[in-house]
Amino acid sequence: MEQEKRPGGLTALAVFNFIFAGLGVIGFIGFAALLGLKNVIPTENMQPDQKAQFEAFQEMGTMVFVALLALMLVSIVLEIISGVGYLKQKRGMGWRVGNVYAVFSMVSGIVSGLMMKPELGGGFNIGAIIGFVYPVLTLFLLNSTFKEGFTN
Amino acid sequence: MSLKSISLAHVRLISQYWTRFAVRSGSGLVYLLIVLIFGLSVANNLISPVEFLMVQQEKEMGHRDPNAVQELIVKLGKPVIKFVLGTKSIGEVAKEASQEPMMMGPLMMEKEDKTVAGRWALFLLEDRPALLSSIFLILVFGLPFAISFLAFNQTTGDIQSRGLRYLLLRTERSNIFLGRFLGTAIFSTGVIAFLILTIVLYLGLKTRLYPARDLLIWSIQGFYALSILMLPYIALCAMISACVSSTFLSLILAKLLIAGTLLFAVLGRLVWEPLKYIKWLLPWGWQNHLLHPSFTHWGCASLACLVYTAVFLMLGYRRFAKRDL
Repeated sequence: MEQEKRPGGLTALAVFNFIFAGLGVIGFIGFAALLGLKNVIPTENMQPDQKAQFEAFQEMGTMVFVALLALMLVSIVLEIISGVGYLKQKRGMGWRVGNVYAVFSMVSGIVSGLMMKPELGGGFNIGAIIGFVYPVLTLFLLNSTFKEGFTN
Repeated sequence: MSLKSISLAHVRLISQYWTRFAVRSGSGLVYLLIVLIFGLSVANNLISPVEFLMVQQEKEMGHRDPNAVQELIVKLGKPVIKFVLGTKSIGEVAKEASQEPMMMGPLMMEKEDKTVAGRWALFLLEDRPALLSSIFLILVFGLPFAISFLAFNQTTGDIQSRGLRYLLLRTERSNIFLGRFLGTAIFSTGVIAFLILTIVLYLGLKTRLYPARDLLIWSIQGFYALSILMLPYIALCAMISACVSSTFLSLILAKLLIAGTLLFAVLGRLVWEPLKYIKWLLPWGWQNHLLHPSFTHWGCASLACLVYTAVFLMLGYRRFAKRDL
């Protein structure tokens, strides 16, 4: 059977998934490194805003750190799996996992916002809105524009 | 463009379809994400330090100090305005910023600055919500670089695949060309409206730095400025799209022409001063005036944008009407 041509938007969505997953991996590594170094880095010569930010990091419990890392990791994995699914136009791996990723990302965004202090970007701010843009768009597009695009 | 061959019903139908098709084809999705992430990041970079200061003040003093907040806003906005209005180069702005002591810059813009640029900067920083002014100026400068992601493939993809032959059985070339241009413009305007609405709602409901009326008035002018500014660039992309038979080449040419014109003018003037006028080939020389306090200035800038749009559309259509599809 001839495979239906993949919409350009679905390919773009997959590429964005891989880009955001790549950025997520960098963030994950940075965040994990901070966990190990948070009590070693001196704060005396930092600017007041940087110092407040770093102190907020230091005050954060290890369990919160680990929980945030776990959320990031799950999100990255879901992004990669759904990205491959979009390219293959698979209903399970693409549409379903993509929806799970979008909902999971929004929930984890809310949880992270509640767990982190405002100095670290916690609470409701424009940074949080940026974090919601892609999951909301994914959820919307998968269930409208590309709903019929998953043919395998 | 022959006005007799234009059917408004066809143009409306084609533009509606093209607006919806933009996301499905990928170009609209890329543009949407780039504009939203770029615009919101700009807003975040300017608003976050102010919010941070307000949180610190409330923690330490139990209340906000409006003077210190305004001082910080001016300190953040001043370099942006100086750079985008062209009164200072990026090197001079960076040098000034590094020389100013942290957090404690000069209180306000130099009041004695009676030059046109000085009065314009004062208007943007003091008479209008300064944070919103800075965001708009960066968007006016930055969005032309993004528009080609949306507009590069108005006709070139179908020229390349020869798919237009089937559409030409049902409508005229002028309707396709104009309908797709309008569809692209509508999509771009919708994205800009959504971006500005998000930023203004955030500024109004979360930070509560400015009265709602001021935010509303300035956001309407900002929306108008950005929407009308996109038209000549979309028309330029329509022209390029009609002239070449490869989507990739169309994107590269659009990028090169839009960014290259500005870059050539900036670098060229270092070698020979008159080369700076190259930027007038596109609205680069006019576009900041869309946020000018004087009606004459922003009215003329709007008119210039429409003239550029008309010229690019006419040139593009001349080629599109004659070429083998």
